Amino acid sequence: MRYAEFKAPKGLIKVELETRGNIISSISFSGDFFMYPEERLQGLERALAGVKASRESVAGAVQNFYRSTGIRTPMLEPGHWVEAVMRALEGQR
Amino acid sequence: MNKWRLLPLTMNDASMNMAIDEAICRLNAEGKSPNTLRFYRWEPAAVSIGCFQRVEQEVDLELARRCGIDVVRRITGGGAVFHDHDGELTYAAVCGQGDVPDDIIESYGVICGGLVDGFKRLGLWAEFKPVNDVLVNDKKISGSAQTRRWGSVLQHGTILIDPNVRLMFELLKVSPEKISDKFIASVYERVTSINREMGRKLSFEEVRAAMSEGFASALDVKLVGGELTRQELELANELRSKLGSEEWLRRR
Repeated sequence: MRYAEFKAPKGLIKVELETRGNIISSISFSGDFFMYPEERLQGLERALAGVKASRESVAGAVQNFYRSTGIRTPMLEPGHWVEAVMRALEGQR
Repeated sequence: MNKWRLLPLTMNDASMNMAIDEAICRLNAEGKSPNTLRFYRWEPAAVSIGCFQRVEQEVDLELARRCGIDVVRRITGGGAVFHDHDGELTYAAVCGQGDVPDDIIESYGVICGGLVDGFKRLGLWAEFKPVNDVLVNDKKISGSAQTRRWGSVLQHGTILIDPNVRLMFELLKVSPEKISDKFIASVYERVTSINREMGRKLSFEEVRAAMSEGFASALDVKLVGGELTRQELELANELRSKLGSEEWLRRR
């Protein structure tokens, strides 16, 4: 299990993930941010499971999720999720 | 002028406080409850965590248990909050989504505008700081969390009257080495309270009266005193078993 935190301008994203080979096999977020609607966070986690463990793939999945769901995360941008995930991926196991 | 119901100041345990907020929001969405403003206290004191937080990462559960402090997960996002029995007043505003701006930050600003106006009535110069804070003299005195569910808006938040800051940071997981006198001093530079700013002790009723008038004026509504309906109480009693459950607390 890999863990990382990323402090966005408003809100701390905590991420726990596991990889299999070069793939994110499972991922879970927690923290003190806001997301509307709240239930979508599980969808973001599902959208990232199975994605290649690269910045490009993660960024693509996050941006696609924002576009397709219309979720709103005040003062939290797609790039902040990507940064949190990359920290967990690049950190020590 | 639109009418909102103003509920009397009540005191409940954490799961019931959260259940009442949720019940009003659900029934407001169904057109069965009016737009509502309520103020409440916590008996016993409690820690509430945001709906996306992991309780064991945020709260010293063992200390909470020893102190008899409730721990509850909110249906709103944001961070962990210590609801001191004697030092904190909580408000909740429930209305239709059409009654506030669609933009999330703007809508926080509108509802927090009631607090800003209320603090001014107490003689304190306050300002809204997006996303969800109200500051007095550049220090945080109130934090809010909003959810939009079922077609309605619930925004609840803290009004710090005289919180026990040391106990707050012992309960909320700040690394022990951080809870030094220096850390506590730095908190006093960032967070303030009504009693500290006023230099005297205010009663909960005094604060509630000022904030109610502030909300009425800022939201341009007429507040009409009322009680929880039988339907709201029944739904709240149903919801409290979910909101008070270990499963809900450890959901994330």
